[in-house]
Formats: sequence, C-alpha cells, structure tokens
Amino acid sequence: MLMITCPVCGAEGDETDFHCGGQAHISRPASTDPHNVSDDAQRDYLYIRNNPKGLHREMWMCARGCGKWFHAERDTVTLEFKSYYGITESAPPSSSPNPAASKTTKKKSAGR
Amino acid sequence: MSDLQFRSALSHRRDEDLPMDLCVSLDEVSDRAMIDLRGSLDDPKFVAAATAALGVALPAQPRSSSVKGDITVLWMSVDQWLVTTPRGSEQALLSKLVKRLGNTFSFACDVSDARTIIRVSGGDARSVLMKGTSVDLQSPVVKPGWVRRLLFAEVAAACQFVHSDPDTFDVYVFRSYADYVWEWLLAVARKGARVQLYGKQEPPLV
Ligand SMILES: [Zn+2]
Repeated sequence: MLMITCPVCGAEGDETDFHCGGQAHISRPASTDPHNVSDDAQRDYLYIRNNPKGLHREMWMCARGCGKWFHAERDTVTLEFKSYYGITESAPPSSSPNPAASKTTKKKSAGR
Repeated sequence: MSDLQFRSALSHRRDEDLPMDLCVSLDEVSDRAMIDLRGSLDDPKFVAAATAALGVALPAQPRSSSVKGDITVLWMSVDQWLVTTPRGSEQALLSKLVKRLGNTFSFACDVSDARTIIRVSGGDARSVLMKGTSVDLQSPVVKPGWVRRLLFAEVAAACQFVHSDPDTFDVYVFRSYADYVWEWLLAVARKGARVQLYGKQEPPLV
C-alpha cells in the first residue's frame, strides 16, 4: 500500500484515494519542433518509460480530496513518498535518482 | 404541456418501510439546492464579492464548512465550494452571486439536481459509513462542520459531519447513484452487521 499526503490540501490516503498519472517530465517532441519529429523520438515519447530501482518522479492527482495534480518523488523499493512538488514545477535537482533516470531527467529539465 | 415537477432522487422510495433492524436512521434531505462556486482565494475581489453575496465567509481551511442562517458553504477544493441553500431560493442567490462576481475570474452554477443528500444518523453512523470508505471517521478531526470528498461504496461522494449527539452525517452522492447508495446503506446498516471495531463490544446477536 502507498501512503500519500496531498501537498495541495493535506488529504492523506492510500493509492485508491489518488490517481497516478505515471512518469513525470516527459516532453513531447512535437511541442518543440513539430516538423522534425523522428520516429524514434516519437516512439520514446509514447512508449518508453523509466523503470528505476529507487527514486521515481511521478504525477499524482488528489482524486478524493481537492482534485489537484501534483508531482511526487517515490522510492520504488520502499514505496515511500520522499518529496512532493508543484505540478508546474520542473524536476528538483537536489536528489539524484538512478543514473538511467537522471540522464533523461536532466535533458528534459534543461528545456524548461 | 405538462408542468415540470421536482422529484427528489429517492422520492420513489419515500413510502417504503425501512427494515426494522437498522442501527442508524436513514433519510433523504431533498430540500437543499446547490450552487457550484469556483474562484481563487488569492483574488481579493473574488473573495469580497462571494462573501458579500453569500453573507458568509468562504471556508479556506481544507475539509471545513461555514454556515450562516439558511446558507451552508462546503469546501470542495482549494478553489471550489458547494453552496447549499433551501430549494426555491437558489435562483435569487445565484443571480446575486453572478452580479457581485461580475467579471472576476470565477464561476457559479446551479447544480441542485446533480446530487442528492442522504442523512445517516445514530450512534453507529461513523462505523456504518466506515464500511464504505478508507477515511477514518472515528478520528477526532471529524467534528461538526467537517467535510471530506471521498470514495464511498466505490462511488464518488462528499461527506459532511453535521452534528454529534447523535452523530449525523450528510452524504452527498450524484443523483444517478442515489438508489444504489441507499440500497447499499440498507444492507450494511443492519444491526446484525455491526462491526464494533471501537468501543464496548456486545455479544453477537444469535
Ligand atoms: Zn488534495
């Protein structure tokens, strides 16, 4: 079971009270250069996700509280929610997820 | 043309006899109209206009409500409130709100027929409702005026603790779920189905 506290309204609950929006900070290639989107980039955007052992940045929605979206860093080993940040904020640089994940995260946050 | 006639979501069950062995009392509160109000608390113009029109301050604290006279304002989200007022007075209140709000970035809409209210009352109200939700209703934060949106009996609902002595909850459910929730409550609120997780344990009924 996941124990989640909404950073917007403070509602506490498990994963049935929240809705998971999946991996955060995925940028859409067509948003930056709509005329030059390679098949590979589009495939990565649509289907390729990190599967880290450790910190994972995700989007969540407080479905049974205030209905707002937020970002969270979750440890996939302990299922602990390590930190929360606003849905409009880019990934925090402080905590460093596993090397595979940090590569994509860095690239993406650079564009914001 | 036939005249439009208001019928509450559970009006067809009003004459039905409730089971004798319910450990809470169940009732439909059908005389409340509802207005959905949205706006930002950071906008002083919105706050002033809404407060002036409603005559009561918007509850800013999550999971709270405020009451003044006939009007109750329930916190729904950081930028959303559900205003309830006696049926028949909603149009006047709504036009007052819309006029006051003017061109502030806000929204007010009559949603009176979207939901109905089921009132659950009695000493076992907390434990009966907890059969349908993961929210701890025995917690000391559940005091008069407390409001919470929740997943209740697998459907979206809002819940207000109206008063204690006896414990009384208003459960707001979408109209199309009213019959289902009513039926669900009739099933789980039987005396023989008491959970008695808290407090004094009674020997099981034989
Ligand atoms: Zn929330």
